[in-house]
Amino acid sequence: MTVNYKSVFDIIGPIMIGPSSSHTAGACAIGRAANSIFKDKPMDIVIHYYESFAQTHKGHGTDYAIISGILGFDPDDSRVPYAIGLARDQGINITFIEEPGDSPINHPNTAIIDLKNEHKQVSVSGCSIGGGTIEIREIHMDGFDIKPKGPLPILLVQGGEDDHQNVTKQLADLTKVNAHQRYQTTKGNMYEYDLDRRLKHDEIEKMAKDYSKLVYL
Amino acid sequence: MYMSVADLVADSVAKSKPVYELMIEQEMATSNCTREEVWHTMSRNLDVMEAAVKKGATGDGVYSTTGLTGGEAVLLKKYRQKGKTLSGDTMMQAVQNAISTNEVNAAMGVVCATPTAGSTGTLPGVIFTLKDRLDLSRDQMIQFLFTAGAYGMVIANNASIAGATGGCQAEVGSASAMGAAAAVEIAGGTAEQSSEALAMAISNLLGLVCDPVAGLVELPCVKRNAIGVGNALIAADMALAGCTNKIPADEVIGAMDRVGKGLPKALRETGLGGLAATPTGIRMKMKIFGKTQTKA
Repeated sequence: MTVNYKSVFDIIGPIMIGPSSSHTAGACAIGRAANSIFKDKPMDIVIHYYESFAQTHKGHGTDYAIISGILGFDPDDSRVPYAIGLARDQGINITFIEEPGDSPINHPNTAIIDLKNEHKQVSVSGCSIGGGTIEIREIHMDGFDIKPKGPLPILLVQGGEDDHQNVTKQLADLTKVNAHQRYQTTKGNMYEYDLDRRLKHDEIEKMAKDYSKLVYL
Repeated sequence: MYMSVADLVADSVAKSKPVYELMIEQEMATSNCTREEVWHTMSRNLDVMEAAVKKGATGDGVYSTTGLTGGEAVLLKKYRQKGKTLSGDTMMQAVQNAISTNEVNAAMGVVCATPTAGSTGTLPGVIFTLKDRLDLSRDQMIQFLFTAGAYGMVIANNASIAGATGGCQAEVGSASAMGAAAAVEIAGGTAEQSSEALAMAISNLLGLVCDPVAGLVELPCVKRNAIGVGNALIAADMALAGCTNKIPADEVIGAMDRVGKGLPKALRETGLGGLAATPTGIRMKMKIFGKTQTKA
């Protein structure tokens, strides 16, 4: 069963800098997801806001929150309110766009993050569903168009059928896989797994040893 | 994983275990963490809540950068000291604790979202008032938070806890219901009574819209937590007295979900309707942001 709120600490928590769990802590979480996917320092950040995010991002501190996530900060990091200045000091270009239309991923709190540098670019579409919890509904990376169901945690692994078998075996010892999907391009395969519970830090580290391009959201 | 209030209550009765214990056991199973780890994390959350409750009511209080909110927890504290409150000191202490927490949130201070930042004052408002009222130990306060979280998870997974999706009823309404249910348990009530308190608390706030002035979590959000905490204590008292909601808790949660989906966008955290659309609300927005934003 894929539910969004898997832990009591999704409800009692997170500890965060105000003022909004969906528009600040959740925005930070979408930024962190983009950071985990990009795995590098971006030179250009473009944020597209939709619906409630487009209308109220200024009031909620969504701008600094989402940038703080892209920089890899936690939602209770005291640097969160200064993230935009810190990013621009590093020479990163930042653009915020208030999109007039409905969310392309069908949620009022939607942000689409485009990250780019001289080596690569990715696009991540996330929505903030309340209390700091988010869904990631689209990812464009390395030529793949990935469309997860949304709820986290999500694991992405690039490789062949044997890698898929190996990852499935490792995951079996850790948690239930609610769904998995394979995406193909001429360059290879991307496997996406929707996990039943959040993995602990050391559990991810162990898997990441075998897969340098592993993405855990 | 508990997906309904009915399951939670039935299991609590069948196993003769309080809901907080069921919640701790579920959390250990789903997170692969020890009881100590789970307990420690909740204890840290309680620390953050306590700090915010104190901070907003200390000295001159805290103020948001816009100047729209702040300093009123201190006003309430001074008013209480005169000993002439109309609704009694317990109620006004709860209101002070709730306002204090949300003023800290609006001032970009550190809070624990319970379940959201906009509704962050409601649960601390209940727990730190019951601490004095019922002479609760720290362990009992942590148990209270696990119970509140158990009911909150059911609400979040069956309806919503986001103002943009379900209006303020989904935020302050949910927080109030969680607080009511947990207050009943910590006061020695039954799981059935907790379920009734939750049902009454949501029923009382059904339809509450999310209409933040200038899109800021300030007006009316800070004071909505006063009604959240007041409603939680009232619903808990009614349930402990034996009052029932007649419409079962799970059906009430379903009603809240449908009401939320039926709310127009202007009343779901866009800052375009309700109090945000009053002449004064629009003036405040113009003053802060200098221009009107596009329409939804």
